[in-house]
Amino acid sequence: MTLTTTEITSPGMTLNMGPQHPSTHGVLRLVVELDGEIIQSCRPVIGYLHRGLEKMMEARPYRHNVPFTDRLDYLASLNSNLAIAQAIERIGNVTVPERGQYLRVLLCEINRLASHLVFLGTFATDLGATTVFLYSFRERERILDLLEAMTGARLTYNWIRAGGVPTDLPEGFGERLTAFLDEFQFALDEYDRLLTGNRIFRARCEGIGVISREMAVAYGASGPVARGSGIAYDIRKVAPYDVYDRMEFDVPVYTEGDCMARYRVRVEEMRQSARIIRQCLREMPEGETMAKLPKIFKPPPGEAYSRTESPRGELSCYLSSDGSMNPTRVHFRAPSFFHLGLLPAMLPGVKVADVIAILGSLDTVLGEVDR
Amino acid sequence: MSATDRKVNVLLDILISLRSFLKGMWVTATNLVAREKVTLQYPYEKPQVSPRYRGLFYLPFNEKEQRLNCTGCTLCEQACPTKVISMTKLGAGKHGGVSEFNMDLGRCMFCNLCIEACPFDAIYMGSAYELASYDRDASVFRIEDLAQGGKRSVEINIKTISEALAEEEKAKAAKAKAAAEAKSAADAKAASAAEERQAAEKPAASEPAPSASPESPA
Amino acid sequence: MSMQRLHPRSASQAREILIGVVIAALILAALSATPLLPWHLLDPIRAYFYERPLLNNLAKAVLLVSFMAVQCLFLIWMERKFAGWLQARLGPMHVGWKGVLQTFADAIKLLLKEDIIPALADKPMFRLAPYLVFVPAMLTLMVLPFSPNLVGFDYHLGALFALSISTTGALGILAAGWGANNKYSVLGGMRAVAQLLSYEIPMILIVLCVVTLKNTMSLTQIVERQAGLWNIVAHPLLMIPGALIFFSCALAEVYRAPFDLPEAESELVSGFHTEYSGMRFAIFYIAEFANNVFTAGFAAILFFGGWHGPVLPPIAWFTLKTLLLIFLMMWVRWTLPRLRIDQMMSFCWKLLVPASLILFCLTALSVVW
Ligand code: SF4
Ligand code: SF4
Repeated sequence: MTLTTTEITSPGMTLNMGPQHPSTHGVLRLVVELDGEIIQSCRPVIGYLHRGLEKMMEARPYRHNVPFTDRLDYLASLNSNLAIAQAIERIGNVTVPERGQYLRVLLCEINRLASHLVFLGTFATDLGATTVFLYSFRERERILDLLEAMTGARLTYNWIRAGGVPTDLPEGFGERLTAFLDEFQFALDEYDRLLTGNRIFRARCEGIGVISREMAVAYGASGPVARGSGIAYDIRKVAPYDVYDRMEFDVPVYTEGDCMARYRVRVEEMRQSARIIRQCLREMPEGETMAKLPKIFKPPPGEAYSRTESPRGELSCYLSSDGSMNPTRVHFRAPSFFHLGLLPAMLPGVKVADVIAILGSLDTVLGEVDR
Repeated sequence: MSATDRKVNVLLDILISLRSFLKGMWVTATNLVAREKVTLQYPYEKPQVSPRYRGLFYLPFNEKEQRLNCTGCTLCEQACPTKVISMTKLGAGKHGGVSEFNMDLGRCMFCNLCIEACPFDAIYMGSAYELASYDRDASVFRIEDLAQGGKRSVEINIKTISEALAEEEKAKAAKAKAAAEAKSAADAKAASAAEERQAAEKPAASEPAPSASPESPA
Repeated sequence: MSMQRLHPRSASQAREILIGVVIAALILAALSATPLLPWHLLDPIRAYFYERPLLNNLAKAVLLVSFMAVQCLFLIWMERKFAGWLQARLGPMHVGWKGVLQTFADAIKLLLKEDIIPALADKPMFRLAPYLVFVPAMLTLMVLPFSPNLVGFDYHLGALFALSISTTGALGILAAGWGANNKYSVLGGMRAVAQLLSYEIPMILIVLCVVTLKNTMSLTQIVERQAGLWNIVAHPLLMIPGALIFFSCALAEVYRAPFDLPEAESELVSGFHTEYSGMRFAIFYIAEFANNVFTAGFAAILFFGGWHGPVLPPIAWFTLKTLLLIFLMMWVRWTLPRLRIDQMMSFCWKLLVPASLILFCLTALSVVW
């Protein structure tokens, strides 16, 4: 008897994941070719959330541009505010008072916590652990309460402006924040017990969606995605802005490059953010929070480029001025956009279920991709 | 790895897995039994918003001066990135105000820029947040909806301002009249002086003086 | 410890728990008093039905189905409440006391909903599928002995019957997935069938272990022969791993996390019932819960002595055990993440099947000795 092996193939199936799929995190469409449950190819289709924000900004004075950045990365809008605020300051030669700088760092780190908590919740939900979602949102709600006390809004804060921060901290903010951080340590431990050690979670994350170091560099990955692939690259360290150079914190780096590494980087970053927040509260000097900008702000002709570390990665803003009231060009380097570019290279060969895990671990925000 | 090693590993793995599951289940159990339930029964219980909350706008009513603070300077209109605000001015200058003040909140980002722009503390954001409506027109808030005290204070505002304006107008008119009188008196004086001069110069020239009073049909 | 520090429960909520415990205790007390009720007054009715076997069976069937339907509605509420509490939420609160009537309201709403069939669906199959799932789910309940004399059909091959009938539900799910003509549904349906058929094997082997131990296939007999000691206590070395394997299989059979792949909402929208709405969807839902009741009851019969227990009447014991097992399932479901399809398959074929085979051999040996 002879044994012949024939390869079983089936005609491919094209599956449209999104834009209304429950876990594409916004309106992303992935056109995947399937063979059974295995991905043959993947093509991300973006643009469902395009609002022409950059063009809108060009038609408006500098000061008016800041609230639009809230709509870029809506999970960390303070970080997006910071990108354009820094660019405007650079182009107009504005120096931010020291207390303003501390406040900015404080607000950005609080927002980073909130954003990473959303990641944690959605990532866990993508893998089927819905409970973690509600726990992490419970904690996030308290962060939002704090931010509401500071800025008055819960999602689109618009509270980091060119020149600083418009108001000082409200009464009793420091105590509330410290109390929250004390409890947050325990909450993080709880997430660890629920997820990190969990055998199923590990099976779903370890070795899945591996991004090699070379690939991360080649595709321009940054932030937790790059750090999960063993690249110790954090703008807060390599090109410190505001008062990050005075802060003591570690940049967590994992070399595996898989979903688990990215997850761990973010969880570890939350602990580091808590550290930075405590330092800020401790060391913040008294003084002005905002530099006075002239009523009619006309920066000299030229260009400016700012680099910031948003929760998703390197968020940069390019501005050019011709000396008039409005910028002539505004451009954002949105980290999520580059991370989406990784998908066609990463997905072929994985299972449908892993698509969700990988997409979740990249933690993209479509508001930032489509702009 | 030998076969027995593998078997031991499998067994270990099972035990470790079970332990990790139990750990997770312990966490959920503590949450089930010992933790506060954080749900807010929303339409029945309302959340407490912070004092800085950025909700629906209001135009504060100034009891002392019996008017809204807004002077119609349009600074907020200029500060708004999305052109939410439009207004009809009522007069101008020191006593100026607004008779209409529309905000199309369908476009508003609640960004606070307009409030920071106002130099007269005339516009603030309050704590009302249930602004959804079934109808696009209902998202346009008019001065009656925004003013503190509603329609009544708008009426008082208009009345106060128009009275002030009328007063101002009257004062102006009086001033103008006074000025005109003063001028005509001066003219008269000049005219009489001229007459006198004329009288003095009569024997020299009989034509009227070229610098006649403005009233004269020259 | 962290437990005390984080969001401690407020006094009013603690009071609610107390109220719940008191109510449960009252219900149990009432149940334990049931043997004292004047049951003999019903004797003429019983006699009437005993003389007419066909009518008797019909009445039993109607009673069983309606009882199950109501119980499922109630269970759905309990699950939602349980999940809510576990997730620091309140769960349904609006309809009735603490939302008890929520699922009834939902059921009415679903009944009144427009019946939507996708234009490109295979209509007969699409229509038929919910019943193909629902009927086996109800049929399996027929052979479950709720108490010594409350059993729909005391079949001497009860265990075999239950297992074989419960497997046919897969057909309905495949039909639903295929008939809807939606790619997610097809994937969900195929996953469901693959999963059901694979997990059936270790499950059957474990049931066989019990059958060999007790030397009978009748479920009533299996329970009766556990009179002194529950299986899990009588043969701990065999039955504890057995119960664990059975429990994993049961989770897979009822598509609960970590094995809820056929309806994994983050991957497949909602799997085979993506396109279903209205009453057809409700039927799927009820069938799922009936399956839940069945597997939990089955486990209670196989390992935990069925209706046996002190003080309370047999039916109360059985219900209590079933409910506890269902709660255990819910607890697992709301804690663990989901496996991937191939991991789930290899877990079954590489671990559960060999383990249950070994267990079966050991059981056979122990019986021979
Ligand atoms: S809050 Fe912002 S968008 Fe709204 S009216 Fe004021 S400036 Fe305009
Ligand atoms: S609200 Fe303030 S800024 Fe706007 S017109 Fe009135 S006075 Fe001017």
